[in-house]
Amino acid sequence: MRLSADDFRRFAATLGRAEPAAPARAMTPPAAPAAPAASIGSRNGELPAYPPSDQWDRWTELEAKAWPERVERTYTLAPTTCFNCESACGLLAYIDVETLRIRKFEGNPAHPGSRGRTCAKGPATLNQVYDPERILYPMKRVGKRGEGKWERTTWDEALDTFAARIRKALIEERKTEIMYHVGRPGEDGYMERVLQSWGVDAHNSHTNICSSGGRFGYAAWMGVDRPSPDYANARFTLLISSHLEAGHYFNPHAQRIMEAKKRGAKLAVMDPRLSNTASMADYWMPTFPGSEAAALLAMANILIQEGSYNREFVRRWTNWDEYLRDEHPTAPQTFGEFERILKTLYAEYTPEFAERESGVPAAQIVEVAREIGRAGSAFAAHNWRAAAAGNLGGWMVARCLFFLNVLTGSVGTPGGVSPNIYDKFVPRPFAEPQKQQVWNELTWPKEYPLSHHEMSFLLPHFLQEGRGKADVYFTRVYNPVWTNPDGFAWMEMLVDESKIGLHAAMTPTWSETAWFADYVLPMGVGAERHDLHSYETYAGQWIGFRQPVLRVAMERLGKPVQYTWEANPGEVWEENEWWIELSWRIDPDGSLGIRKLYESPYRPGEKLTVDEYYRWIFENSVPGLPEAAAKEGLTPLAYMRKYGAFEIRAGAAMPYEEPVAAEDLAEGSVDEATNIVWTKRSRPHTANVVPRPAPATSERGAQVGVRVDGKALAGFPTPSGKLEFYSRTLRDWKWPEYALPTYIRSHVHPERLDVERGDFALIPTFRLPVLVHTRSNNAKWLTEIAHSNPLWMHPSDARRFGLTTGSLARVNTEIGFFVPRVWVTEGIRPGVVACSHHMGRWTLPEYRTQGGWSSALASLDHDGDQWKLRQIRGPQPYASADPDTSRIWWTDAGVHQNLTFAVHPDPVSGSHCWHQKVRIEAAHVGDRYGDIAVDSAQAHAIYKEWLAETRPAPGPDGTRRPHWFLRPDRPDPKAYQLTAGETTDA
Amino acid sequence: MRYGFLIDQRACIGCHACTVACKSEHDVPLGVNRTWVKYIEKGEFPNSRRHFLVERCNHCANAPCVEICPTGALFKREDGIVDFDKSRCIGCKSCMQACPYDAIYIDPDTHTAAKCNFCAHRIDQGLQPACVLVCPEEAIIFGDLDNPTTRISQLIGRESVSVRRPEQGTEPKLFYLGADETALMPEALPQPLGAMWNEPPAATTAAPPANASWMAHTDHAQVAYNVRHEQPWGWHVSAYLLTKSLAAGLFLALALLLTARIPLAEPLALGAVVAGLFFLGLTTLLLVIDLKRPERFLYIVFKPQWRSWLTLGAFALMAYGALLALWGLIELIAPAPPLAFTWLVALFAVLTAVYTAFLFGQAEGRDLWQEPLLPASLLAQAFIAGALTLAAVAALTGQPAALVRALALTGLVALLVHGGLIGLALISPASTANAAWGERELTRGSLASRFWGIGVALGIALPVLLLAVALAGSGAFVALAPIAALAALIGLVGYEDAFVRAGQAAPLS
Repeated sequence: MRLSADDFRRFAATLGRAEPAAPARAMTPPAAPAAPAASIGSRNGELPAYPPSDQWDRWTELEAKAWPERVERTYTLAPTTCFNCESACGLLAYIDVETLRIRKFEGNPAHPGSRGRTCAKGPATLNQVYDPERILYPMKRVGKRGEGKWERTTWDEALDTFAARIRKALIEERKTEIMYHVGRPGEDGYMERVLQSWGVDAHNSHTNICSSGGRFGYAAWMGVDRPSPDYANARFTLLISSHLEAGHYFNPHAQRIMEAKKRGAKLAVMDPRLSNTASMADYWMPTFPGSEAAALLAMANILIQEGSYNREFVRRWTNWDEYLRDEHPTAPQTFGEFERILKTLYAEYTPEFAERESGVPAAQIVEVAREIGRAGSAFAAHNWRAAAAGNLGGWMVARCLFFLNVLTGSVGTPGGVSPNIYDKFVPRPFAEPQKQQVWNELTWPKEYPLSHHEMSFLLPHFLQEGRGKADVYFTRVYNPVWTNPDGFAWMEMLVDESKIGLHAAMTPTWSETAWFADYVLPMGVGAERHDLHSYETYAGQWIGFRQPVLRVAMERLGKPVQYTWEANPGEVWEENEWWIELSWRIDPDGSLGIRKLYESPYRPGEKLTVDEYYRWIFENSVPGLPEAAAKEGLTPLAYMRKYGAFEIRAGAAMPYEEPVAAEDLAEGSVDEATNIVWTKRSRPHTANVVPRPAPATSERGAQVGVRVDGKALAGFPTPSGKLEFYSRTLRDWKWPEYALPTYIRSHVHPERLDVERGDFALIPTFRLPVLVHTRSNNAKWLTEIAHSNPLWMHPSDARRFGLTTGSLARVNTEIGFFVPRVWVTEGIRPGVVACSHHMGRWTLPEYRTQGGWSSALASLDHDGDQWKLRQIRGPQPYASADPDTSRIWWTDAGVHQNLTFAVHPDPVSGSHCWHQKVRIEAAHVGDRYGDIAVDSAQAHAIYKEWLAETRPAPGPDGTRRPHWFLRPDRPDPKAYQLTAGETTDA
Repeated sequence: MRYGFLIDQRACIGCHACTVACKSEHDVPLGVNRTWVKYIEKGEFPNSRRHFLVERCNHCANAPCVEICPTGALFKREDGIVDFDKSRCIGCKSCMQACPYDAIYIDPDTHTAAKCNFCAHRIDQGLQPACVLVCPEEAIIFGDLDNPTTRISQLIGRESVSVRRPEQGTEPKLFYLGADETALMPEALPQPLGAMWNEPPAATTAAPPANASWMAHTDHAQVAYNVRHEQPWGWHVSAYLLTKSLAAGLFLALALLLTARIPLAEPLALGAVVAGLFFLGLTTLLLVIDLKRPERFLYIVFKPQWRSWLTLGAFALMAYGALLALWGLIELIAPAPPLAFTWLVALFAVLTAVYTAFLFGQAEGRDLWQEPLLPASLLAQAFIAGALTLAAVAALTGQPAALVRALALTGLVALLVHGGLIGLALISPASTANAAWGERELTRGSLASRFWGIGVALGIALPVLLLAVALAGSGAFVALAPIAALAALIGLVGYEDAFVRAGQAAPLS
């Protein structure tokens, strides 16, 4: 389907923004920031929200605190990007021009994703800037690791120390001994460039304790590992993750889901727990954890059996032909035959079967399936984390969900779901490093060749097995001791200097992990740093520019700033400048080939500045931005400093239907057997360098498309060029049983639970609307709202154990137990318990800290493999520069359940499978709230059990990983090849 | 121009962005809120749902907080916004009792009352309130209710909207679209023992007993999230009620004796007056120390707001004090002030005793206090306190038996009236769920022992028995009257304490 100009006018109208001047992929001028201009002062009751953008440089308004006295304060308004979740919403900072104090953060009306609105976490950025417990100066360890003894050091000393150590490792070819472990990146491309410039394979992430299952489910279909649902235009939406409560792109998605709902669209939510999203749904489907795929396949089966799927789409855009060739070579190779087989493939997934597995009534499954069929190409769906992150085989939930999009043909359509790369724009930077030649086995081990992505949470076990070491280890916005399963294993690893040589925690605040660092390097919070973002928060493409707002204010006020730390509180740096300085010092004379990547594109031979880095991008890599800026008489950089965001395209796009470029066809050929279109023409540089799956090149050149009905179209970035209903990759990489979308029974499947003896499935992952994983400890307004994580339990279950709301329970996991309070609620499926993952932060007496707004003071006991954590007290009032610390009224810090979870790496996706089979009992005599006990030897044994389920590399071509799959910081193809020795080991 | 809010609960996702944006705009301290989002859960799995309710000042057209505010610190603007001026506030907390919506708090920094003021500073500059612009779902709609073209007017005209506690007659201008009925009625659900992600609202009162018929209509509902609200008035107020009863009652008993021409020794009369003045001083002192800004107590005199019974009461207390002192002076220098003057002073004593009933009447948030016979009850209490105290003193100092008997008889009658009024209040059905909650709390809840044990048994039954025995001539007044007086006084303060707290027990949000 091609989109007409009318379609775009309609989308534009629903989005409430200006009609784009050109069709989909042409670059449109940005919608003017929704500035209220002359209407300020209107008294008809319909007032504007924001000061007009032409007054942002200097804006005077009445001070609320002084009211009703009319005291005027003058601010300069600087846009930036929120860092409190992954949505990257626009913020507008009000900086007092006299005191240079930030008064507040509002939404940035010029940001097309968040449209001037934020969730609770946006304005709470202010708390993080003025948190009385934040770290203001670089600190160096003086005692033993983890002992809590520190001295202040200088940034120069820290830079020199790390530069010398890294330089030595590079020269000695120990390139896999450097590791950069990031929790929340909050930017696109910068860090990958830095690491590749050093020639290391150092990138590690939090992905596999989070989105890995979801990613792999989508990647199996299209290589692209994230969906981009166009909620605003959907007629029916099915959510497995809770996008009206939290989750990815909470605010931008929640706006658009409700926008559609107000228009009459229906919403179904599959969640064993009554989330706020489920509460808003027309259909709440409380599936038993792990049974989601069964329910989804039953819906698929209904669409198939009733013939209400989009036959044309399935025929044109799935690799049914490849499936027939490989699996039914003797059958007629026709779509009709495929349809006949398809009917039999899913016939066993009856609604009644799904009801038995999931507990959701068959009638509801049928009704929702028919609604989905009726919605057709306007069917939006999403699974991020949630079931995909909870269960063994959870990735199949995302795959089965996208199966419904494929069956309805709602891919890239208005109201459907796009591969996220359609709606994401990562502008090319000024100089790109070579891809690294090395492969880091600690992050990409042979056992998990398909993982999406780094096997981050297994690091302590790998090091325990002697697989290597991290000589230099950076943790950034990452608190693995707290966040990861099996935190005690992380402590054991971090104190061992033979495993972790030099550890820098790059963090604005103390954390359970920072205490185990050698250096604590305070980095700016969201409003104190530069980053460039683009996320698929709606059907469109945009970039958002995070700025250190005090620096912007000082520059506007004529106070030049060379480095961001000069404007930030204390000596708080921004990472971008740290990495430039560090890289420069690693290669001061340029002999390692690193320095040239940090030389200014404007001042040859001189050191790059952050201004220049972004200036070059805005001038050269963002289509339409220079023109938009010129219209306002601004440079592209000045435009972005002023507005903080730029919309490159509005409306859904379907590039897979685009014809292959004539120039490519001129040098191209078509494989008659597979219909793949190849070209020998070298690939043109694109402005958008969003990471894309990369089907292999062949002697015919590069894959540029697929022939459909005789026409060479761009297709999908998969080996078949189509959406892969049948995954040859899974078959070839030793998982033939998963080559088609199917149902995998979870590790918490009811047949594995002894209900009589108190076994439950525990959902330990759900997020709350006001918290940021574990990172809200520095936001008082958020912590005041949510500071406890009781165990949700159905009344019928609570009665069985004699528990009531407020009772203590002992929750036994495979490796220990934790003691939470119980919250009895009708909002959870019987047989299932749930505990939010945000709470339970702690600090130890030897650290001599108050622990912020929400940490408990705890004592930690360690005897061999036996670990115990006991809370001494919860949060309490204390005196500080912020009078609010003396008003902390809550005493509950929650319970740190993650410590009691063993690692559960899914053998295919590599995702940690968070859900736990737990045995619940009333608390024992002597149990206290928040108690934790863990046997770390048992934890390692569980790791071994799960490891034994893997089917290691090499794949069919002797590689470590399918090259076409996405991989952060993708190395040189040569690095994919396993050497003969390694192959035998495996 | 009449500004109002409409919360579209059909679109609200309970994200608390409004709560935090408001905290930021107004720099609201921890522990208090100008706006917040209550969660309740309702229904049996899998038909259970969570319902949200955004709560805040209702900007009432007929605002009880403005009415009760003694200094005009709370006021209604011409555009309908109920605003406040912290520089006038004395921190008496009566506005918190008057507000039926839990919208007002005492700011811990300024120790003055504060609440949502519609971001009047932004409105005056032509900008939307902070909560409106932050809301991801555009679920907070505001505007001029007088202008039929505004979105809020059109929605209210077109859709079925609800307000909270319409029976209070406050004419709220905070409208809800699609709000759950149970969520709108805080009394419908017990105070929670726990909450889904925070510590439960302060358990200042225990939950009423889980009475099956009372719970039946709640449909498996419970409060899942709410914010804390402290009870504004405590022992200062209970004690003030007793000292005021004494201050008024001593003279009323005296006036009764004089009117009945029962001879009494001058020292007793003078002593009663001095004691009355002493208790009046104590009453004032208790009132002042209960203020959050005690140094501003004279604002009542210099910035009076004449519709407030706090103001009127303060002037009544002052007038009574002056008259009482004058009466004492006359008695001292020229014995026996004219009876007419005595009656004038007695009139102000009555006013002193009963004005609190009208003040409680202005406390629209506390339906238990809206008892129509409360003036009579307070008058009876004054007579109990005054007559029995005098009776005890008279008995102990060997005054004539007739005098002691008259006082004892007065006290007895007053006790019976007091008891009768309590009985009457208990047997008449509670006017509202809020009042019923208070009554449950009083008679069956955590205050029951104070109410029944101290207020009724010790404070009424025992002195009635002792006085009856004495009056029947079966016991010596010198022994029984002091015990009866002591028991009655302890009983009064116990009863008032229970009554004051019970009135504040029901949740308002």
